[in-house]
Amino acid sequence: MASRTNSDRTGTVTFGFDWISVALVLGGVLLLYYVVPMASLFLSVPAGDILARMTSPTVVDSATTSLLSASISTVVATLFGLPLAYWLARTDGAVTKGVLAVVVLPLVLPPTVGGIVLLTVFGPGSPLGEAAIAAGFPLTRSLAGVVLAQTFVASPFVVVTAKAAFESVDQTLEYASRSLGKSRLTTARHVTLPLAGSGILAGVTLAFARAIGEFGATMMMAYYPRTMPVQIWVAFIELGLDNAYPVAILLVLIAAAALLILNTVASNPWE
Amino acid sequence: MGMTLELSRLRKAYAQFGFGPVDLTVDDEVLAVLGPSGSGKTTLLSLIAGITSPGSGSIQLDGRELVGFPPEDRRVGMVFQEGALFPHMTARENIAYAATASDRVDELATLLEVTDLLDRRPPTLSGGERQRVALARTLATDPDALLLDEPLSSLDTPIRKRLRDELHSLFESLDIPVLYVTHDQRTATALGDRIAIVRDGALEQVATPSAVLTRPKSRFVARFTGNENLFAGTVTDRTADEAVIQFGDVRVHTTAPNHSASAVTVCIHPSRVEVEAPDLVDGDRTANTVTGTVARWLNEGSEYRVDIDIEAGSLALTANVRPPTFERLGLANGSAVHVLIPEESIHLIPDVE
Repeated sequence: MASRTNSDRTGTVTFGFDWISVALVLGGVLLLYYVVPMASLFLSVPAGDILARMTSPTVVDSATTSLLSASISTVVATLFGLPLAYWLARTDGAVTKGVLAVVVLPLVLPPTVGGIVLLTVFGPGSPLGEAAIAAGFPLTRSLAGVVLAQTFVASPFVVVTAKAAFESVDQTLEYASRSLGKSRLTTARHVTLPLAGSGILAGVTLAFARAIGEFGATMMMAYYPRTMPVQIWVAFIELGLDNAYPVAILLVLIAAAALLILNTVASNPWE
Repeated sequence: MGMTLELSRLRKAYAQFGFGPVDLTVDDEVLAVLGPSGSGKTTLLSLIAGITSPGSGSIQLDGRELVGFPPEDRRVGMVFQEGALFPHMTARENIAYAATASDRVDELATLLEVTDLLDRRPPTLSGGERQRVALARTLATDPDALLLDEPLSSLDTPIRKRLRDELHSLFESLDIPVLYVTHDQRTATALGDRIAIVRDGALEQVATPSAVLTRPKSRFVARFTGNENLFAGTVTDRTADEAVIQFGDVRVHTTAPNHSASAVTVCIHPSRVEVEAPDLVDGDRTANTVTGTVARWLNEGSEYRVDIDIEAGSLALTANVRPPTFERLGLANGSAVHVLIPEESIHLIPDVE
């Protein structure tokens, strides 16, 4: 353990236990714990081998399913989430607190429990699920099921992050716009949304990242069509760890892209 | 053709604060709304602009009822405290956003001297520039009434004075009711055709600047408009057109007050008090001439503020003395002086407060 020499005001030299170095070492260990496994994943299989396996039908299918479903989930979450976020940002009181708690619930709920909850409403045994199957549009074991699961767990990110973005827009600017004769809608389009834009984009990015990585609830709602996380699971269980690598690497790359967006065009809510 | 803004029985209740009932008629004039912070000035503007809804009462503009209509349907322009310019738009885009016709942008930019600033974004503008652009933006909508919420309060004195002068002629040319909120008495008297003094959510006095200054309705109005000479007095002799007022050891004559109270607050605006040399000849004396000594003085720039102990210290009277007079009399602490209190400068407030 490194120790530093300190001299106090009287000039006498004292030797103290250096807490700064301890803190640095602790933090450094944690950082290595993040980076080393990530690097190890990329080094464990030859790059050419990975590229070859990327084009296999199972990988392509699962990537297509994931990108499509996560995109739809993100759009749905944004469409339904922004008005709620705006309302939460501009209203105070006990009701708002309660509503916010409901919004945050899917974030703290274990995803598998989320899946169970959804199955009670949309599952084949439920009236809604039965009706949907009869109509030829099953809500489980379908893309719709994937979207339902992903939206449930990912949409709170849009609401919570966009709420903070809306709160950062001075309400006086909205009043100013309306006193200039502009309707609420025009004001939202030209003043509120542009000013909250980077914050909203952060929420949308986080929701997409969460949706594409969703496993627990998706497993329960729709084992087929296979999303990337489910495909990783299947490959790992049936064929071993090696076969789970290509999809895992794809997901790491997508996560890295999301981070890039957060740190460039969007305003990183954690900064 | 002029517009008229008419508020009647306007009320708004908050948990900690009650506004109104306020009755007020504003024609195409500048009404300076003057009051301490928290007195309800901004509430008044918010109610007219439609940002806040009243509990009861009505607001009519040119015969149109405004209560119940959203801000965008009121044709009421509002200039906010810091300008409230849209930070993601340039000055030009800000004005164009509001403009009813595209040629209005350059026209108003010229009028408010912001032509050179049009391509800049609000964060790069100074406080005064922001306010000019904000005013141009509001005027671009051709409002039927104009509300301004302390637009000059954040500016430095020279810029504030210059803008104040420019605003005065601009407002005159508009021919619409202009409500100008400020907590600064000088701005209020300089800009207002009339002044409304707001206190605890109610209008204490609405009158011309000179009436507010010299004939305040209450001690509050007097104090808030910088009138420091307030004395408890009694009306002693009263005839049909004359009265004698006793305050401290001072007796002065004045025209009979239009109220019958004998206990009054004697109010004499410092700017109306005349200070003269101690060797005043008898012919220049009036019935209201008293003697005193200078207790202290302060150079306030355009004038001296002189505190005078009257009649062996029974009363402390403040007078504003113009520099030439101050120098001619060679005033200093302890100087003996004569003080003339003109009859018409004596204002009596009946003690009912």
